Amino acid sequence: MFEQPENPVSSATPLPIRVLAPEGEPTEFLYKGRRFHIHAIVSRWRESGGWWNRIDDGNRHNVADEFSIFDDGARAIWRVEAAPEGAMTTFEIERDEITGTWLIRPTSRPL
Amino acid sequence: MRSLAPGSFVPPHVRSNRFVAPRFLAMSTPFTHLHTASGYSFKYGTALPSALVQRAAEFGMHSLALTDRDGMAGAIRFAQSCEVHGINPILGVNLSFLHKKYRVTLLAQSGHLASLYRLLSGINLGEENILTFPLLQRFAEHASKVLVLHGPDSQLANALAHRRTDEALSIYNSARELFADQALEIVSHQVRGDGPLSTPLAARMLGFARDHGLPAVLTNAARMLDRSDGPVADVLDATRNLVPLHHRHTERRNSEGYFKDSPSMQRIADEVARAAGERNGRTLLATTEQWGQRAVLSVRRDIGIGEIHLPEPAMVGAKDRPELIQLLRDRCESGLHSRYTGALSVQAAERLEDELATVRTLGYESYFLAVADVTNMARELDIRVSARGSGAGSLICYLLGISGVEPMAYGLLMERFCSTLRHELPDIDIDVESARRLEIYDAVFNRYGDPDWSTPNNQSRCATVAMVETYRARHAIRDVGAALGIPPIEIDAIAKALPHIRARNISKALENLPELRSLNLTTPLMKTAIELAGRLDGLPRHLSMHPCAVALSDIGLLDHAPILRNASGYPMVAFDKDDVEAIGLLKLDILGVRMQSAISYALSEISRVDGNQVNIDEIPLDDKKTFDLIKSTRTLGIFQVESPGQRELVGKLAPNSFGDLIIDISLFRPGPVKSDMITPFLNSRQGLRKRSSIHPDLEPVLAETEGVVVFHEQVIRIIAIMSGITLAEADEKRRDLGTIDGQQAVCDWFYPAALARGYEYSVVNEVWEVLRAFASFGFCKAHAAAFALPTYQSAWLKTHHTAAFIAGALTHDPGMYPRRLILDEARQWGIAIAPVDINISDRSYRVERTDLITRAPYQAPDLPSTGAALSLPDARGYAIRMALSDLNGISDEEISTILAGRPYQDLSDFVRRSGASRPVTESLIVVGAFDALHHLGDPGAAGVTGAINRRDLLLHLQDLERLTGSRKDLGNGQMTLGLLPPALSASGLPDLTASERVRHEIDVMGMDISSHMMEFYGEFLNEIGAIRSSELIHQRAGASVLVAGVKVALQTPPVRSGRRVMFLTLDDGYGCNDATFFEDVQNSCADLLYRSWLFLVRGEVRRTGPRGISLRATGAWELATEHEKWRSLRVCEPLSG
Repeated sequence: MFEQPENPVSSATPLPIRVLAPEGEPTEFLYKGRRFHIHAIVSRWRESGGWWNRIDDGNRHNVADEFSIFDDGARAIWRVEAAPEGAMTTFEIERDEITGTWLIRPTSRPL
Repeated sequence: MRSLAPGSFVPPHVRSNRFVAPRFLAMSTPFTHLHTASGYSFKYGTALPSALVQRAAEFGMHSLALTDRDGMAGAIRFAQSCEVHGINPILGVNLSFLHKKYRVTLLAQSGHLASLYRLLSGINLGEENILTFPLLQRFAEHASKVLVLHGPDSQLANALAHRRTDEALSIYNSARELFADQALEIVSHQVRGDGPLSTPLAARMLGFARDHGLPAVLTNAARMLDRSDGPVADVLDATRNLVPLHHRHTERRNSEGYFKDSPSMQRIADEVARAAGERNGRTLLATTEQWGQRAVLSVRRDIGIGEIHLPEPAMVGAKDRPELIQLLRDRCESGLHSRYTGALSVQAAERLEDELATVRTLGYESYFLAVADVTNMARELDIRVSARGSGAGSLICYLLGISGVEPMAYGLLMERFCSTLRHELPDIDIDVESARRLEIYDAVFNRYGDPDWSTPNNQSRCATVAMVETYRARHAIRDVGAALGIPPIEIDAIAKALPHIRARNISKALENLPELRSLNLTTPLMKTAIELAGRLDGLPRHLSMHPCAVALSDIGLLDHAPILRNASGYPMVAFDKDDVEAIGLLKLDILGVRMQSAISYALSEISRVDGNQVNIDEIPLDDKKTFDLIKSTRTLGIFQVESPGQRELVGKLAPNSFGDLIIDISLFRPGPVKSDMITPFLNSRQGLRKRSSIHPDLEPVLAETEGVVVFHEQVIRIIAIMSGITLAEADEKRRDLGTIDGQQAVCDWFYPAALARGYEYSVVNEVWEVLRAFASFGFCKAHAAAFALPTYQSAWLKTHHTAAFIAGALTHDPGMYPRRLILDEARQWGIAIAPVDINISDRSYRVERTDLITRAPYQAPDLPSTGAALSLPDARGYAIRMALSDLNGISDEEISTILAGRPYQDLSDFVRRSGASRPVTESLIVVGAFDALHHLGDPGAAGVTGAINRRDLLLHLQDLERLTGSRKDLGNGQMTLGLLPPALSASGLPDLTASERVRHEIDVMGMDISSHMMEFYGEFLNEIGAIRSSELIHQRAGASVLVAGVKVALQTPPVRSGRRVMFLTLDDGYGCNDATFFEDVQNSCADLLYRSWLFLVRGEVRRTGPRGISLRATGAWELATEHEKWRSLRVCEPLSG
């Protein structure tokens, strides 16, 4: 029932974005040169794990020092409805808990 | 981008420094975790209870629950930590339910921990081993005092996850009658979706509780201490399920299942409550707090730490306490009259009064009588017993027959064992014959146990004790390696090479092991494995049975501790020995000592063969010949003094008395060896240096050990003499010396106290230095004396009844050496080795009288430095008959049928009636078991026309088998169906050669019987000038020599410097050589030493004492390879010799 895909993050490649999150909760972001306002948070969750798949590939995080498996790819994810002007779209915004980088991917999947 | 203040999602790296608590949290109340798994969930929780408690204290929490999965083995440690940190303990257990599909958490209500223990024991000891409704009904009186939490993996939560509200309600209602109270356990790890551990399901559960007026509590179902412990949890999941790491096998979806602080838990409460349509989580938190209060336990009253529960007077034959006191006195006095006479008996009577007064103050009468009861049970079964440990210091133990060492003659002190100043039960260990240990267990269970363990009110007073196996280096690296999918061969190589160290020291150890340099340990995968193995360090891995401890208590054993059934089928307290002591049960170690079995066997052989009834417990302890044998260092097989290190030490120390043996045993421990306490002692003893005397008052205390402090008893006496306090008080001071803080306190007290008694400052100063230095190295003399007794007894038997003793050693294998070496030891004392004979050999090794001429027994060289020559045993005229039990592949059943069918007329008769399998029969033929029956001669006689040899017997066996065909398993009678057995005839094939015979012996019996395997290398070794071990003592110190032999032992004991030293013991048929390999030679040899077993070693002779000798190795080679090279050279130059 609670099967998880091998890689629990959705398959679309996320892009780094700038996010405004005054209380830690995202409220606005810049996407493809437009400023999007978040109207609603549809859901949010946390993910981590799968560190054992990353031991050999060497391209984890851009942090300068050696990566630690104990970081474990922790990330917090918000599924939000946001629009520049009128055109409401669903996005997944992700914050990498280790580096603090924000990523975004548009998504059509309902929760 | 602006710097962000985190809201409900707190990234780990900003939590500590950037977190700004919202205003309403400023006066936050502490949260109580009601569901926390520790490492005592075994391969589930990642933190020890003590770490969780410490964290709770740091978070300012006042209470904490430990609810490990399926057991409560961590309860006592947890409670002890709670007491230290001022946390109120709550105890529970998380149990699987309904075919292990679901789990619930049970909590003990305040004041009713015993009910939870009883319920858990009922589950463990019941048939199904799982929580079931019938069991709950049967244990209703206990279940009705237990609180239940229905968490995210409960059946109730599952119903709600599928939106089956009615089913959820009926589950709740059906359990109403069974338990004291039930709550829904709300947990959100903020996982994706709406399943278990998600906020949506948590909210649905909270809504359900609210709608139906049921209590709901918040927990975090924590199994980790920190967020960063996730990978450790994953490895444990993989290990527990015996699978490699994969998302399918790891339980967690993120790292939120850790021990969160109160503000974090309050945020989760708010999040869930809001998702359930409430304003905030205050109600949820308040209910959680109430439930915590209902379950808080008292460390002392409820958990019982510091209590004492001894068997009731009735158990040892008294009706009340006064009668109990009188009973102990009567028993001791009757012992006194039979063991002491004259002036000694007056002295003993005085001491007995003192000891009885101490016991009476402490109320330990039933303790002594119960232990005596167990030793008496053993004696009634005719099983050898002897006490070990500090108990030998007590005259009461001696008089009751618990201990066999007379305490006054050797200055042993009761105070070291037990005093009114120490409120913990003293510790008595009993050594018994290993082969019959379980008979004593059965007798104890019979007497102190209630036969039906599964009843709700079982009234047993005894159980075995658990042992917590924790992760150390080897297991940690194996489990992590398997989880990460590292090839088993690589992991195996590392694991095997690792010494027994803590897992966190693996990387350091790997740097020091040259044989591992070939493995690439710097890959990311290996580095990860090593790092993770370090994180497993010290986590409990498995709960097994303590190999020898039995706990005795009053009638309420099952109220004091949960019981489970161990792998051997005995009921077992789920706590380890320290825990058992902490809750005041009488812990008795019943150790199976193979030496006691060997001694018992030797005595029975002496009686059978020589008709001589030896009472080994009454032999004089000053037999010169016995000490001569020990001094000769030919101590193989003797208890305690047979190891290479001990042989070196007895060679240096040359013990002349039982007292010397006690000293020897005390000195041979890592502390004294490392700190080189031994050198000043030996120098003074050998007269090399005059011993220093600190003060005449201390002379009587230190004379026996040449002025060196060796024993705890000496420290106690020194402190008492110098300061004027009692021995009991002095023992407390001695114990304080064990810690740095304690040492300072004793120092601050000692100087003024001793100065006030008139001792000069320099004396006080010198004595203090001795005491301080000694603190970590001393040994309990009573313990050493108790050990010295079987040491002396076995040495005495080896001296006077050599063959019987060695037969005992071969049969019960009490020591560290392989049987083939013990067999060779027999040869060296002139004992003939009689081969397996199908009509004579027994299950065990038997002594026979023989006329066979053997070689002259070993004579110790008469060295000028040692004075008189040693008089050593001569066992010519005896033989040891090889036993059937050591034949490779033979079963107990086969031995029984073979023995029952004797005598056999010939091989075909044997095949027909013995029930032995074909391979076993073949093995018997090749080791010569039919030689006598068929009058086979020496291999030298082979080729004589018409003579039958072992090859002919093998062919004959084939014929016999062909005749009976595949229906042999039908048993007897097959041969008689009109067919005559084929005749045995000489085929003319050559017999087995001597070397083939030895090879077969090694294959089949694991030892060289007809001759020593080094004999085949004799010519080669003579030519290269290798030295026999018996000749080594004539070499001058520093000489470079070659020795050869079979590997007997390879030891790598831990040394202080962390540098590894390897000790190799070789046997060459003339005794043993000991060679030491330091780091400089290990590079070239370490791998070889592990791999091979026949060696040629070059080394420098080191003389260590009058008869002490060893080699400092400078090189090692494989003997067979070098022999081959030499032979091929010789073949090339056939005329050179």
